[in-house]
Amino acid sequence: MATANDSVHGRIERAGTELTPTQMAAGLGVVAALGFALLFVQEPTMHDAMHNFRHATGVTCH
Amino acid sequence: MLVDYVTRGVKAGLVAGLAFGLLVALVANPLVAFADEFGHEGETRATGDHREADTDGHHDGTTSGSHEGPAVSAAVTNGVSVVSGVLWGVLLGAVVFGAGFYFLEPAIPGTGTSKSYVLAAAGFVSVSGAPWLVFPPQPPGVEQALPAETRLPLYAGMVLLGALVCLLAGAVYGRLHADLGRIVAGAAALTPFGLLSVPVALSPSTAVTHSLPSGLATGLVGLVVLGQVLLWTVLAATYARLHRRATAERGSPVDADQIDSAVTAD
Repeated sequence: MATANDSVHGRIERAGTELTPTQMAAGLGVVAALGFALLFVQEPTMHDAMHNFRHATGVTCH
Repeated sequence: MLVDYVTRGVKAGLVAGLAFGLLVALVANPLVAFADEFGHEGETRATGDHREADTDGHHDGTTSGSHEGPAVSAAVTNGVSVVSGVLWGVLLGAVVFGAGFYFLEPAIPGTGTSKSYVLAAAGFVSVSGAPWLVFPPQPPGVEQALPAETRLPLYAGMVLLGALVCLLAGAVYGRLHADLGRIVAGAAALTPFGLLSVPVALSPSTAVTHSLPSGLATGLVGLVVLGQVLLWTVLAATYARLHRRATAERGSPVDADQIDSAVTAD
């Protein structure tokens, strides 16, 4: 399908034309929020609720 | 096209996340709870806490709460941990196998299915392997020498450095393999990983103390490593299958070639 632009640069350019800035920002936002919540939040309720998960994943915590 | 890749990544992530969630539910939850109890009990005895008799009586009766009193009940911890495990798989699938595979596919060494596994290995090294060099997985109940505020940025930094080193290794391989062959290029691609030793040497001491029997502590660390390896393996296998199916439906000649070789490889 995409042999002409089959390079990393081509793919980046193509993504730029396919997605609107809003979509990109939304995607990055969701990923950042989920990643931060799972790995780094130290608030006691959140932390204690995810305690077993963080130990099972080997993420550094408390 | 990017959306197709991300959708596929999320699907693969869901499969891998469910497998990992099952591991958390069946193995990690009871084991971590047990080690928590054990660690706190040993700690209390070792420091000769005046509440010893009190906590011992407590442990004999209800084993759910530790003497520090977690902010939520054990049932909530178990439930949220399982859900987090599933989300963890989805996150890795969407980021590494959705967006990551889309952008890097032309540059990843290998053909067809093997690209998935190369990417999974790079993902494991970035997300888990590199940070573990500075902060090895710890059994619950340990006292870390560094406060969490210092460890979290270092942890995030090691993830970024790990990803950078993997990209560098991929670039080295891509540049060399046409001229020098696979083996030489593969060996040369290992050299960037030496960069990871710099922060390990520079990082402050991360001494820990815990009162768990060493067998239990080793078992817990083994479980953590195995769990992440399992997660990435399931992710790569599922993604490879979905990707193969999608390219087969599209049916371009280049992709058909890859499918043939992948099928015979199976």
